[in-house]
Amino acid sequence: MALTPRKRARISRGIQYAVLVLAAVAVAILADWAQLRDQFVNSEIVPELFPRIITVALKNTIIYTAGAFVFGLLLGLVLALMRLSPVAPYRWIATVFIEFFRGVPALIVFVAFQYGIPIAFPGYVIPGGTFGTVTVALGLVGAAYMAETIRAGIQAVPKGQLEAARSLGMSQTRAMISVVLPQAFRIILPPLTNELILLTKDSSLVYILGLGLADQELTSFGRQSLSEYVNLTPLFLAAMCYLLITVPLSIIVRRMEARAERAR
Amino acid sequence: MSDTSRDTRTEGTPAAIDVVDLHKYFGDNEVLTGIDFHVDNGEVVCVIGPSGSGKSTLLRCVNLLEVPTKGKIFVEGQEITDPDADVDKLRSRIGMVFQQFNLFPHMTALRNLTIAQEKVAGRKKDEAIEIARRNLEKVGLADRESAYPAHLSGGQQQRIAIARALSMEPDMMLFDEPTSALDPELVGDVLAVMKDLAAEGMTMMVVTHEMGFAREVGDKLVFMDGGVIVEEGEPSAVLADPQHERTQSFLSKVL
Repeated sequence: MALTPRKRARISRGIQYAVLVLAAVAVAILADWAQLRDQFVNSEIVPELFPRIITVALKNTIIYTAGAFVFGLLLGLVLALMRLSPVAPYRWIATVFIEFFRGVPALIVFVAFQYGIPIAFPGYVIPGGTFGTVTVALGLVGAAYMAETIRAGIQAVPKGQLEAARSLGMSQTRAMISVVLPQAFRIILPPLTNELILLTKDSSLVYILGLGLADQELTSFGRQSLSEYVNLTPLFLAAMCYLLITVPLSIIVRRMEARAERAR
Repeated sequence: MSDTSRDTRTEGTPAAIDVVDLHKYFGDNEVLTGIDFHVDNGEVVCVIGPSGSGKSTLLRCVNLLEVPTKGKIFVEGQEITDPDADVDKLRSRIGMVFQQFNLFPHMTALRNLTIAQEKVAGRKKDEAIEIARRNLEKVGLADRESAYPAHLSGGQQQRIAIARALSMEPDMMLFDEPTSALDPELVGDVLAVMKDLAAEGMTMMVVTHEMGFAREVGDKLVFMDGGVIVEEGEPSAVLADPQHERTQSFLSKVL
């Protein structure tokens, strides 16, 4: 009996689901759940991690990320405008900066800041302690990425928008602030969210600085507790805390996009 | 430049727009090859010609959206091609309407009309809103002030764009093919608004393909081709009895 295309598609999809379910069941049966629970969500260790994993580690991760993001966004905007400037040296400086900090691992930038600044400027300390160092070091890397995103966003705004604004008598700066940038940022909201999520995770690289207890963020807290308890529970909880930041962030941005879409 | 007699300030009331020996190159391509052109106060001048004739470029030179390669442009007797001229101030006195409307999509219709009033003309919010509402009413869209451009038809968007330019209370208006991007049934509304404006005595320079509008409303018709003004004169005369062979051939194709 010949099958119609629709029937064939339905059967093939049924087989795919069956394979997935079988794989999940196999994993569930074969896994050593007792061992897993003991290692990843150990009920004796979990209570001991609270409240510090929230009040210190999660809080610091958020603060470091926010500092780096704000600094990176502002610097990235400046770099993007320099890239688009009619003044050639501005373009060169921005290009060199972007290529350098985009191409160098963030970890190395951290190390360079920690040990390079005191060597280059004896006696100088970056203000703000760990927060200041993370803001600047991670911000520099973030700025290099965001500059290119912002530049693309500005270029995606139709040229007629700038012309209309200038025709009304707005200066170049005023037209940028009131007309071009608001539209550019709306366009680049999704990739910018991506940057923020990447920065959230990259803030973990700060462990290389060797942090005091009060300065620990999620990953360094998790690593330290890992060696303390010889158990993976702290790391697992730290991972869950990252999701606690990034998932709501994605949801908020998706809402913002939907709202912007309605206004278009 | 030698042609100092063109400095119309000496002649009493200066012409609204006075273009002297204007040349414009895009790279090696000369799109305007020595244009002399003027618009008197209260006059409606329509510019027609085949695409690529340089008519839009001429219009865009008048508010310096294109920077002339050579030549001078005076607006109300003031030389705008002078490198020291305050271009922003000058542009706020010249209303511009684009083929693609170019409304700000992230603002409501009302905000489109008030933003430049506040940020450029320095008007208070209440005053700006009052002027904006008056102009929205003038173009027949008083009820759409809180709509975003995406929710308006092309004809409505273009009328808002005209109202936006008018809200700066300009001395003259430039129209760059204002109806070319519209569906045919929407052209009439926009032309009606422009007709009202002309009747109020607004100085207008209109690049257009609407020969009917040119004949009915225009005080002068200018035909351009290949970067030069081929022929100009009273619209009905030029349309009915073109003197130049190039004008004849163009009109025979579009009329």
